[in-house]
Amino acid sequence: MVTLEELKDNCRQILKEGKVKYIIGYKRKNGQYMTVPAFLDRIEEVDHLVWDPSCIYNLVRYLRDEKMRKEKEKEPDTRPVGVIVKGCDSRAVNILIQENYITRDDVYIIGVSCEKSGIVDEKKLTKKFAGKDIRKLDFAGNGKIQVTCGTKNSVVPAEEILADRCIECTIPTPIVFDVLFGEKTDREVPDPFKTIKELESFDTTRKWEFWKEEMDKCIRCYACRSVCPMCYCDECVADSISLAVKPDTTAEEKAHKIRWVEKSPVISENFNYHLIRAMHLAGRCVDCGECDRVCPVDIPLRYLNRKMEKESLDHFGYTAGMEPEKPTLVSCFREDDPEEFIL
Amino acid sequence: MEKVLLKKDLNSWAGKLGSYDIYAPFKSGDVWGYELMENQAEITLDYPNTAIPPKKILFPQREVLFEFEATQEGGMEIREVLPDDTPKIIFGVRSCDARGLAKLGKISQGGIEDVYFTRRRNQTVIAGLACHNPPSPYCFCTSVGGSPHSLEGMDILMTDLGDAYYLESVTEEGVKLMGSAEGIVTDPDDKQKADKEKIHSDSEKKILLDISDMEKINEALSEIFDTGLWDRESLSCLRCGICTFSCPVCHCFDVNDEIIRTHPLKGKRVRTWDNCQFPDFTMHSSGHNPRSDKASRLRQRVMHKFRYFNENCEEFLCTGCGRCIEKCPVGIDIVEVLEKAKTYEK
Repeated sequence: MVTLEELKDNCRQILKEGKVKYIIGYKRKNGQYMTVPAFLDRIEEVDHLVWDPSCIYNLVRYLRDEKMRKEKEKEPDTRPVGVIVKGCDSRAVNILIQENYITRDDVYIIGVSCEKSGIVDEKKLTKKFAGKDIRKLDFAGNGKIQVTCGTKNSVVPAEEILADRCIECTIPTPIVFDVLFGEKTDREVPDPFKTIKELESFDTTRKWEFWKEEMDKCIRCYACRSVCPMCYCDECVADSISLAVKPDTTAEEKAHKIRWVEKSPVISENFNYHLIRAMHLAGRCVDCGECDRVCPVDIPLRYLNRKMEKESLDHFGYTAGMEPEKPTLVSCFREDDPEEFIL
Repeated sequence: MEKVLLKKDLNSWAGKLGSYDIYAPFKSGDVWGYELMENQAEITLDYPNTAIPPKKILFPQREVLFEFEATQEGGMEIREVLPDDTPKIIFGVRSCDARGLAKLGKISQGGIEDVYFTRRRNQTVIAGLACHNPPSPYCFCTSVGGSPHSLEGMDILMTDLGDAYYLESVTEEGVKLMGSAEGIVTDPDDKQKADKEKIHSDSEKKILLDISDMEKINEALSEIFDTGLWDRESLSCLRCGICTFSCPVCHCFDVNDEIIRTHPLKGKRVRTWDNCQFPDFTMHSSGHNPRSDKASRLRQRVMHKFRYFNENCEEFLCTGCGRCIEKCPVGIDIVEVLEKAKTYEK
């Protein structure tokens, strides 16, 4: 198991040595059992660092902010940023390296293994402990989570309150790291694609009806895109204005920018946006599940991305973020690639 | 006018309101929202609060302003599109959200009248619901001039007495609507009146968040415009639109042309919700962006709500519903930011 004190000691050490600019980790939200992202640049702040099943965030997303900040500065501090990553998050770092978005030297990776557990789905947790005053969550080892309500501790099997993605996760240990806490764990999952099994069995009409209803809910707050570590484009096709406009962009270039997706939150445009996003994540999504978690209207976005992951695996034997030195799925060609779906 | 309606009769009252479009809280999956009810029997007021406030009924996320079509003579024919004038009732609106609608009403009258909003508001009756318990641990209506049973923006306020609702009319429209319940409602007795008063005063004490010295917030905010507080507090911001889209008073919008056909040109001019937290919100055509970082965008959200609007209209552009805190995917808390703003040392 990860020992929090060891993790903290390491963080204090690297801050003290000036090895990193700051560390992105987790801290408790004011008086609550859930955490929020923490940006630690002083040694004493490390006291507040937390690692428990409430660490739901994929912090790799904040490397994009760091990159943007660095690009604006005249004399940027080029030291790496420390980031705490779970198994899935570490694969996101790998993809950013693989796609030349960052280099390995930009980041000091502090890996934490989820071992046989993972992070909670707050909805499942609050349903199971409805009316109880949840104070704290802890890993209890061996696939169990301890939930402290008031002064009472209950130990429950993790899968009762884990996020679906953690239940289906086969890679709980970080793939890439500078330092690793916790044990490297192999996890047997009987059906890693269970989530989409039922949906896959629907006929086209029923699938259409299902998604039509879901897409109708979308309010286009773009939280799914904003939280995604892979959605780092300066210019997103979903925006009607290009952020890549520079002072020397000509009026003609601006006028010729095509608006692919209307701002109106109507079914056709919502579909357009979400399908573009799903396609752009094919072979890149690491199933950190953040898009699904943040959606304020509960659109099951994981279904879309999980399906693309399954396609990548079934057709090309490719799992995203495992080998950063090899080309990405969509930028390579192998002679034995299947082509039965090419018309 | 004050009346008492048995809970079991709510649906039969709604049944008498056939000429109205009835909106009420409706749960889809785990998410509550206001929906147009086709079946009165499904109306329930036993709900915490909706994810998206009722502003979406009066100020829909998408509004067609007018349609245009090129004529054979080389001109352009423009056809105004106005909201249909079916009268509406919204049941179960919480006090914070009704105050939000009242604030939107004032904004819609400022400068050029927003005819789309006004038209809808004028044909809508708000039959709101007082809170027993705060629907969210993040409620702070009492800190921003409201209360769990505020009448502002209501036409009728309903208070849950257990087996019945205590109805109070606030406006003429409210009196008219309550008149339609004649025969179903009774006059309140002294006990019911006392019960209602007690529920109201108790509910105020149950609000967990309390921001002190709100009268000094304007001054505090004016002193910290150029400080590192905003950088610090916005570090985790994702630049998504949840906080403002779920806000009962945020009202910024964008206007775009949706082209149906290019030759000859035909299309619609459409207004959609926009959002000061999106990076492209303030993007100039030159490529310059005056609010190009998260810090300046968070500052704008807080300053607009608690300083600029306060200076212009002597009230906050916030009703303390707590949605932006509860829904923020990374736990940014506007109350916490205000507390820090008050004590920030430069």
